[in-house]
Amino acid sequence: MHSSLEHAAAPATVLSELAFQRLYDANATSIHSYLLAVSARRDVADDLLQETFCRLLLHSKTAARLDALELRRYLFRIATNLLRDRWRSGDTTPFPDPPELATNPFLENSIDIRAMLHHLKPRERELLWLAYVEGMDHAEISAATGLNRLSVRTLLFRARNKAKQFLAPARPSL
Amino acid sequence: MNLNPTNIPPNDDNLRRAFRTYAAALSDAHTPPPAAAVLFRAERRRRRQALERAERPLLIMQTLGFLFAFFTAAWLIYQFAPHTLPTLNTTGLALAIACTTLVLAGCWAMLHASRRPFA
Repeated sequence: MHSSLEHAAAPATVLSELAFQRLYDANATSIHSYLLAVSARRDVADDLLQETFCRLLLHSKTAARLDALELRRYLFRIATNLLRDRWRSGDTTPFPDPPELATNPFLENSIDIRAMLHHLKPRERELLWLAYVEGMDHAEISAATGLNRLSVRTLLFRARNKAKQFLAPARPSL
Repeated sequence: MNLNPTNIPPNDDNLRRAFRTYAAALSDAHTPPPAAAVLFRAERRRRRQALERAERPLLIMQTLGFLFAFFTAAWLIYQFAPHTLPTLNTTGLALAIACTTLVLAGCWAMLHASRRPFA
């Protein structure tokens, strides 16, 4: 079976560029949004996105066996690991300059997701994004983040409740 | 802080819709870097890794050479120092120390230069 990655395996060759372009076009936007939402920094998101695809190309033998869906999860796994490496290295400046949209006319009920994300921990941001935006189930999130499936379930439950608390209306004082 | 001015507690569907709308707005507002930049970065890294792999035996030999020179010098000093050092005059001793220091510094400089990343 020939996956599209086999053609993109050798980044140096001219032949691989078209296949890589297709792969990149299919996945780059969603991974970039994920990195942007979790890190909240445009420069970090740009850098980690390039690094994610760069690592994919350099470890193409492992990735060549994967189909399109698994490859997508693999890319999210790389991106997640890179984000964690960044936090571990001490570069944890979150939201210095909100990358996005103070007001969004398209948001229903004016739920301010950006402000809510600001209050969550990075891991909670990751889990909520993968669950709600990427539509992944627990097993897929587990594959994409490297967390145990049961841990995903618990952490996602907590993150969801926390998110709802931030978005819930303030109780009127009696 | 009340982030939801409609005073409706969000359920899962609301949250999902809001997340996806935000994601759409994010991807509209920010385009990812071009694929060519990634290819260029991967190519540059691949070349650097290939160069490092090629230089590894040379680096090993240089390190071994440095260690060999160092321990040989130490052994020679240990072997002959009681007999020869007292016979050397001050100028000779200073010259010997200077030569040894020069050789060791040269070895170190070679190692340091070979480890410097290329431009």
